[in-house]
Amino acid sequence: MLQRVPTELKQGSDHRRTVLDVSGISKTFGAVAALDDVSLHLAAGEVRALCGENGAGKSTLVKILTGVYRPDSGTISVGGQPVTIDDTRHAQELGLAFVSQELSLCPHLSVLDNIWLGSIKVPLLHRRSQFRRQAREALERLGAAHIDLDTPAGTLTIGERQLVEIARMLTRDARVLILDEPSATLSDLEIERIFAALTALKKDGRSIIYITHRLAEVFQICDSVTVLRNGRSIGTHPIASLDRAALIEMMLGRSFEEMYPESSREAGEVALDVKDLVIPGKVTSFSVTVPKGEIVCIAGQVGSGAVDIINALAGLVYDASGTVVVNGRPMALGSAARALNHEIMLISGDRAEEGIFRRLSVFDNLVATRLSSYACGGVLDLGGLRRAARALAKQVGVDAGRLRSPADTLSGGNQQKLAFGRCLDRGPPGILVMNEPTRGIDVGARADIYAIMRKLCARGYAILMTSNDLEEVVGLADTVVTVYRGRQVNVHGRQSLSMHRIVADIGHPLESSTEVQA
Amino acid sequence: MTTLAQSKNDTVGRLLNPAGRRKRLLVLIRVIALAALTAVALATPGFLSLPSMLSMLTTMSFIGCVAIGMTFITLSGSLMSFALGATLSVTTVVFMASLPLGLAGALLVAFAFSALITALQGFVIGYMRANPIIVSLAAQALIYGFVTFATGGRGIYPEGGETDILKSNLGVIPGPLAAFLLTVLIGQFILSFTRLGRHIIMIGSNRRAAEAAGIEPWHAITAAYAFAGICTAVSAVLMAARYASGDMEHGLGCDYHAISAVLVGGTAIGGGEGSALRTLFGALIIAVVQGVLLLNGFSTQMQYLIVGIIVLAVIALQTLGERR
Repeated sequence: MLQRVPTELKQGSDHRRTVLDVSGISKTFGAVAALDDVSLHLAAGEVRALCGENGAGKSTLVKILTGVYRPDSGTISVGGQPVTIDDTRHAQELGLAFVSQELSLCPHLSVLDNIWLGSIKVPLLHRRSQFRRQAREALERLGAAHIDLDTPAGTLTIGERQLVEIARMLTRDARVLILDEPSATLSDLEIERIFAALTALKKDGRSIIYITHRLAEVFQICDSVTVLRNGRSIGTHPIASLDRAALIEMMLGRSFEEMYPESSREAGEVALDVKDLVIPGKVTSFSVTVPKGEIVCIAGQVGSGAVDIINALAGLVYDASGTVVVNGRPMALGSAARALNHEIMLISGDRAEEGIFRRLSVFDNLVATRLSSYACGGVLDLGGLRRAARALAKQVGVDAGRLRSPADTLSGGNQQKLAFGRCLDRGPPGILVMNEPTRGIDVGARADIYAIMRKLCARGYAILMTSNDLEEVVGLADTVVTVYRGRQVNVHGRQSLSMHRIVADIGHPLESSTEVQA
Repeated sequence: MTTLAQSKNDTVGRLLNPAGRRKRLLVLIRVIALAALTAVALATPGFLSLPSMLSMLTTMSFIGCVAIGMTFITLSGSLMSFALGATLSVTTVVFMASLPLGLAGALLVAFAFSALITALQGFVIGYMRANPIIVSLAAQALIYGFVTFATGGRGIYPEGGETDILKSNLGVIPGPLAAFLLTVLIGQFILSFTRLGRHIIMIGSNRRAAEAAGIEPWHAITAAYAFAGICTAVSAVLMAARYASGDMEHGLGCDYHAISAVLVGGTAIGGGEGSALRTLFGALIIAVVQGVLLLNGFSTQMQYLIVGIIVLAVIALQTLGERR
């Protein structure tokens, strides 16, 4: 099915050429369908927002457009020509340029060198002055004439680096620029600069795919929006025909009540007490109290320090300091083994990097943290471990028949259930610290995981987690602590909780600074 | 250009997807390679005679012990070591030099010495997170430099036959082969049935996840290196006894063959997947290839070349198996 963009787009130029036509793209990883029959139809000079929750398939789509992945089926046309995108270089040759959140400039090279680095247009023997002029023109077109071509890229601000990267794409005749959450790490002023640059590009007739979680930006600079959910395209609409509520509903596609189990019990005694947590360069001061049986969420944007706080409490940040008391016992930070002794366990959304052992079996993953309790003189009681693994698999709802399968043959949701299983029943109920526990997990498995979390709370576990997914935060948390750039903004109890207030706290904390608590 | 790319894409895609077909393909390639090797071996005159088999297996055993040690290093996620050959050499020297302490004393000194110098490397790699390749190259240079300085580069040739008992055989089984098989068994036992073995594999599979699961990576990495030192010492004392000398030449080229055996056996170069048994098979395959080449009159250089090609092919197959 091919989605058509209505022609009455606002500010539409009179001649709407199609630059990019993606139709019926599907891509599966193992058992997971990352994209299912997704289509996208982009006109010249159009700024298209690409919205969807984490795991909706945005990044997979981008990786297909930039030649990182190949689609299982579907066609892509650029400028009316059907193409197969071989690799990232080929994507650039086709005029599809990707500006990532993790910038890809070489910090020690000058701005000029960075702009031309890897360009096929630079012959071995060339006149530098000509390339200098073109680089300058590209920066001027973006309203970034103040950037000196000879300074090392590493000395620029993040926003300036992003502009340099866009300029790099311009010198390569990019027809479609793909920006992945460019605003996540930028100050307001820098965001305005990027927006000005995007407007200039649009006037130039170039098209932009703009990926963002911030709905305000969608309404501010985009012409139309495509919403993905669970790998499927929910629809494409001109911005003028939508309001915020309608867009949110398209993204979520369900109500809170179906998704999130009720908080069932009164908060118990304090399980985790953190005072004045400091992580040099990332968190200036953070305090939180987590009672037994409660879920406390730390909400903040990328770079706010929320993830660092979770990692520090799990013992994975070596220069963190602060007073931490766990179930009445003080704990020094900086060692994961020590944190585990105090029954603090980490569940990470970054499963591939720090969550599971992908090539090891389901069995190995489930028992990873309890080998010592089943070892006699270093030799393992494999029978006992196997019984323990079967019991754990049953508790978290993973098929016990798959104990021998490698973990990466499981879906993302089941992989995360392994991480939960690993943390259970090691001793008395402990504290689970989680970093984006449902990242990249489909809706059904999410509901399972939320149910597991509540079940654990009922058994006396305490949960401290962070999530970029504000809907999840609002639906799940008993208490929300908001952070902005490494400092605490606010603490909201269940009664005073709303999406609106959290967005205000983590985006523009100065406006709500009157509510700052000590 | 587009059509060319498309057709290439299609063929590659049909061959490699889905994952199950790819795995079957890899197994098929391995079976064919093994069958071809067996056929060539059987067709080689003299290959099937008992003396030639035993000599081949004995040579394999010296390399094999080192390869089992190397397997532990690779499994722990530290890629490989280029210092095990130097460790072997220096251990033959230390063993022979400490014979005045009696055979038992000399054995003790040799094993402790070898385990200590590799464990030190493991500590630097595990605790300080130094690059394992660089550390092993530095260790190799240090060992050669120090020993050459201390002994003037001459080997040690002690009088008397105190070490002769190490040359004895178990019936028809050569002593080194028995020692190698024992090393394989111990290595496999550690990997499959002990906490240390599981920790080594978990760290190799995903160091950060292991850390998050409360495992101190440097403990297990240091232990893996120490075990590699012990395996190397097994090879060293047997070799010293066989040649009745301690000499820095004994371990030359042995890193290379040990690494080949590990990789050909199918242990993942990035760590986290593999076993001592696989390395046993890897060592066997390489020994057969070398035996066949030798019997057919090819030079040592040619052997290096062929083994190099085999290792390259195995690595290419591994990467193919992992690509999305």
